[in-house]
Amino acid sequence: MSGHDSKYFSTTKKGEIPELKEELNSQYKDKRKDAVKKVIAAMTVGKDVSSLFTDVVNCMQTENLELKKLVYLYLINYAKSQPDLAILAVNTFVKDSQDPNPLIRALAVRTMGCIRVDKITEYLCDPLQRCLKDDDPYVRKTAAICVAKLYDINAELVEDRGFLESLKDLISDNNPMVVANAVAALAEIQDNSNSPIFEITSHTLSKLLTALNECTEWGQVFILDALSRYKAADAREAENIVERVTPRLQHANCAVVLSAVKMILQQMELITSTDVVRNLCKKMAPPLVTLLSAEPEIQYVALRNINLIVQRRPTILAHEIKVFFCKYNDPIYVKMEKLEIMIKLASDRNIDQVLLEFKEYATEVDVDFVRKAVRAIGRCAIKLERAAERCISVLLELIKIKVNYVVQEAIIVIKDIFRRYPNTYESIIATLCESLDTLDEPEAKASMIWIIGEYAERIDNADELLESFLESFPEEPAQVQLQLLTATVKLFLKKPTEGPQQMIQVVLNNATVETDNPDLRDRAYIYWRLLSTDPEAAKDVVLAEKPVITDDSNQLDPSLLDELLANIATLSSVYHKPPEAFVTRVKTTAQKTEDDDYPEGGSETGYSESSAHAADGGVSPTSSSNVPYSAARQPAPAPPSPAAPVPDLLGDLIGLDNNAIVPVDQPATPSGPPLPVVLPASTGQGLQISAQLTQQDGQIYYSLSFENNSQIPLDGFMIQFNKNTFGLAAAGPLQVPQVQPGTSARTLLPMVMFQNLSQGPPSSLLQVAVKNSQQPVWYFNDKASLHVFFTEDGKMERGNFLETWRSLPDSNEVSKDFPDIVVKAEATLDRLPASKMFFIAKRKHANQDVFYFSAKLPRGIPFLIELTTVIGTLGVKCAIKTPSPELAPLFFESLETLLKV
Amino acid sequence: MISQFFVLSQRGDNIVFRDYRGEVPKGSAEIFFRKVKFWKEDGEGDAPPVFNVDGVNYFHVKVAGLLFVATTRVNVSPSLVLELLQRIARVIKDYLGILNEDSLRKNFVLVYELLDEVIDFGYVKTTSTEVLKSYIFNEPIVVDAARLPSLGAAGLFMQGSKRRMPGTAVTKSVVANEPGGRKREEIFVDIIEKISVTFSSSGYILTSEIDGTIQMKSYLSGNPEIRLALNDDLSIGRGGSSIYDYGNSSGSGSVILDDCNFHESVHLDNFDIDRTLALVPPDGEFPVMNYRMTQEFRTPFRINALIEEAGPLKAEVILKVRAEFASSITANTILVQMPLPTYTTRVTFELEPGAVGNTTDFKEANKRLEWGLKKFVGGSEHTLRAKLTFSQESHGNIVKESGPISMTFTIPMYNCSRLQVKYLQIAKKSKTDNPYRWVRYVTQANSYVARL
Repeated sequence: MSGHDSKYFSTTKKGEIPELKEELNSQYKDKRKDAVKKVIAAMTVGKDVSSLFTDVVNCMQTENLELKKLVYLYLINYAKSQPDLAILAVNTFVKDSQDPNPLIRALAVRTMGCIRVDKITEYLCDPLQRCLKDDDPYVRKTAAICVAKLYDINAELVEDRGFLESLKDLISDNNPMVVANAVAALAEIQDNSNSPIFEITSHTLSKLLTALNECTEWGQVFILDALSRYKAADAREAENIVERVTPRLQHANCAVVLSAVKMILQQMELITSTDVVRNLCKKMAPPLVTLLSAEPEIQYVALRNINLIVQRRPTILAHEIKVFFCKYNDPIYVKMEKLEIMIKLASDRNIDQVLLEFKEYATEVDVDFVRKAVRAIGRCAIKLERAAERCISVLLELIKIKVNYVVQEAIIVIKDIFRRYPNTYESIIATLCESLDTLDEPEAKASMIWIIGEYAERIDNADELLESFLESFPEEPAQVQLQLLTATVKLFLKKPTEGPQQMIQVVLNNATVETDNPDLRDRAYIYWRLLSTDPEAAKDVVLAEKPVITDDSNQLDPSLLDELLANIATLSSVYHKPPEAFVTRVKTTAQKTEDDDYPEGGSETGYSESSAHAADGGVSPTSSSNVPYSAARQPAPAPPSPAAPVPDLLGDLIGLDNNAIVPVDQPATPSGPPLPVVLPASTGQGLQISAQLTQQDGQIYYSLSFENNSQIPLDGFMIQFNKNTFGLAAAGPLQVPQVQPGTSARTLLPMVMFQNLSQGPPSSLLQVAVKNSQQPVWYFNDKASLHVFFTEDGKMERGNFLETWRSLPDSNEVSKDFPDIVVKAEATLDRLPASKMFFIAKRKHANQDVFYFSAKLPRGIPFLIELTTVIGTLGVKCAIKTPSPELAPLFFESLETLLKV
Repeated sequence: MISQFFVLSQRGDNIVFRDYRGEVPKGSAEIFFRKVKFWKEDGEGDAPPVFNVDGVNYFHVKVAGLLFVATTRVNVSPSLVLELLQRIARVIKDYLGILNEDSLRKNFVLVYELLDEVIDFGYVKTTSTEVLKSYIFNEPIVVDAARLPSLGAAGLFMQGSKRRMPGTAVTKSVVANEPGGRKREEIFVDIIEKISVTFSSSGYILTSEIDGTIQMKSYLSGNPEIRLALNDDLSIGRGGSSIYDYGNSSGSGSVILDDCNFHESVHLDNFDIDRTLALVPPDGEFPVMNYRMTQEFRTPFRINALIEEAGPLKAEVILKVRAEFASSITANTILVQMPLPTYTTRVTFELEPGAVGNTTDFKEANKRLEWGLKKFVGGSEHTLRAKLTFSQESHGNIVKESGPISMTFTIPMYNCSRLQVKYLQIAKKSKTDNPYRWVRYVTQANSYVARL
């Protein structure tokens, strides 16, 4: 070979492709090989050299393995775009799969599996069958992986042709690497299948444990990971397994060590002998610590796993806290994880050492790390009662350095320490108050304000301190406003003098009239009501003794921890999330999902189904779900009087008798699914309107529900529609009886189309006006989804569909991507016809599934729909063809709501 | 299993890209690079080695300034993938002799061939250079190593010990033939120890640890068996004693390792009896044994720092470093660093009279003092005086806002653990030529820190 490969990247003045073509057809072998290299070079930098397909494939029939490999590399890349030409290579593949040289046999079957072209797949079966039984282990192990490839392309084919059985046979192969690869392939197939394919019996277990000792490091990982799914029958079997696996802890490959740890931890759950467990813990500690001598990337993975392990078995590393001390040159992601583990391992015995470390970290450069170190000191204080005082004195030392973010972080944790040890450390409040004016972070500010309010009686100038915050009340973030509100109320209750009284008026005013934040307003009103009705009760509520907090130390929920521990040595254990939370690989054999549920629109009205009242029919009393307390109450046993007044809590704040608040719970009986709210009660002076366009037997209706939460009966309802794209208008008068307070009425208003047409670009907007005799006119906006209008006769014959598609010009085709929609084949097929989009055909194109649908609008406007999904990825692409392409945006809007359920 | 593998340059250029499963969208390399580059808004701070963007999991390791990346959509073993990325880098280095952007580009056909033999459908097949030799047909084009900055362990030995070591030996390809078509028979055994020590403000050792590796790179033909004998009195495991009460064993002369592990080619049949390791070394560079030790050891350097306030806006720092190893040994490339208070505006330095090969610097951006020494002879002591000027009064917090002092260095032919290769035996029925055997020791600072 001559010169450097990089010369292949240089371009010539002449047209590159014709020149390459000439060289590929040269009579000299070396020249051809060089030419293929140039082609590959062009391919790797992203140039399109697919036009040379035939010429490259012609070089395939060669004895020269180097050249053959290059051609194969090219084939894998371009076969998909040239499926018809790729078929030319099949003969050579089949021939190569019978070559006397095992390398060529393996290469052929390996490459064929990588070419995802249906036609080639058919030809792959026979060679694969042969190679699975080849004499040479290299060929067999390559064939084993090829079965997984084939399963990914065409699962049925694998099952039909008995490849799964052949694969299972390979578990008993005498070559451990073949066993390992068969295990890997079976594990993957099992992951993508719903039926049990790969189940480990005690028989396979012993075979795999034997292979474990002999195969390469990577094979060991495959086998260990597959075995970790095995549930031992009893403690004795578990002990036996552990004994066979323990030597793997001595392996230099971190993946082997971690997979072995996983396996041992799992079997340990079954082992009853405490001696054995203690001994195992002792054996696991040094290898786990040794993982921290690896590259920082591996350390990170190890630390995330150790974090989980010490939550379940703290004894394993109880004496090793020193190895988690941060090194000066550790990357920040390693330092953060070490800190977390140090907190978990901190004990009365080592806390002095640990505090010394934390204090040192708190003066380092990286701000995030420093903050976490300060927080760590606080968490240790909460965790270890006997060390709390030492922790606090370290925090005070840090505050004295007056580094702004250190001070703020310290105040946040000190607030928690106060909650944990009430009436113990308040003497330090004076020191904290010195830093008051430097606080600029919401959480720190809120914490400080909480402290002032909570200990108002011990701080002489508490009123002055709080007052300094009040000026800026409207500009403060919600977190701070809420704390200011509560702290002022506490101050007032503790020191009911003139100053605090004035302050409380300012605060309550700010927090009710002047704010848009409902949380703040609600809290303020509750305080207001409490203070104005019964100040003693207010004291009981606001100054009540708080439950003592405990150290969370970022503990995981036990069931999540169980799941994560079962996933040690996987990504799951690094993210601390269960696999389904991040694995988005769409399974090829998706299960049918229950998709008949109605969309959850308008669920905030909180209906509860009650069969007893279902017979009441169209108009039935519903509970006023806006009454705050009702949610927690049981339905009232006796039928309540329909005229029961609904008290408006916010309406009259002062002087309302508490006994008057009588819940008026009534079982709700909606006739049909809940409708989306279009006019909330808060806007409609107690009148809530829910509505939706629907189609029944070809007729379009506006389904409406009126819910009266006001104090007076409402009647004389009328409705009008503004001009709209579809020309929708009411076909008759709105028929609604008088609606009593606390009840609701439901009606179906027949609609007509093409009456009331608006000009301008199409829009789904539907503007509606409703009035009654008691209230002003209410205006609201609704949406007219296109699919509501699709007609019953929208189904096309295949031939007709094709013809219509061809007859429409390309300019009538519009397409759109929906990147985050998952389409499950059956679910989609089921859901769309319910909305009168009719299924025409499904086509499989390479790794894409393409579905065709048709639909029709009144006046015979057809929609031809093509949905494309790429297997294994999210998202769907929709292309439509219609004589009215201007309606496309409406169609896509509609489709998105249909698919996004 | 992984979906894609790629190598990016520091600038984010795609040097190598291979898709094994076609389930991750095309732009993954760009998505990855943007994410890593802007992990924090300010561009500082390393991205963790594993993260998820839009359902795609990205793994990366940095080797020789290059980013080795793998992607997957499924719940794989992250340590497997990260270890694999390291191994791919090592295999490529074995083949190319030297690993950098230039050598990768010059050998892209070979690299692709390697990748196809290392990974199939996202599954690791093998990462053993020895095994790969029978499947790889392309030959490496060796990049001239002399002009390039050396990397990794190889680089360590080339500095300061040129007379004894053939510098190019460790950067030569395992498979390529030397000019003249004949390979030189030689074997390298390197004992590399990285030490981490933290001194308290009073000079007391808070933590100390040695991470050691016995690394081997064999250029022997005919795969002969090798025997390595280690210290007779070597013992493994602290026997349940906790880390807090070590020290009782120091001075007794025996070497006690906390833990160790071995390459899969190593036979330990005699290890328990006479502490010998037997192996048939595969081609390529590989660790024969990794070990870890927290037993107390003699720290090579002592650091002394004195900070004196000299008026409200001035202070003086005196740094003293003493080498505690024998005078026959010389450390090289020493760098002492010390963060100073953020309000430091100016620093003037004063070296000892007659000091040579010293550099001093005040890094304005991160307020750090840097003191570099080319050489440091055993038993000697060096001092640096630095006068600091502040922009604001220090309120007596100078000590709290400075430090810790950290130090990096390399000490060839020295190891702290006293672990030794007593002999290296090559079982070869050789006629005349005796293979070259290089047993080399080196100690490097990992995290060598003195608190103030």
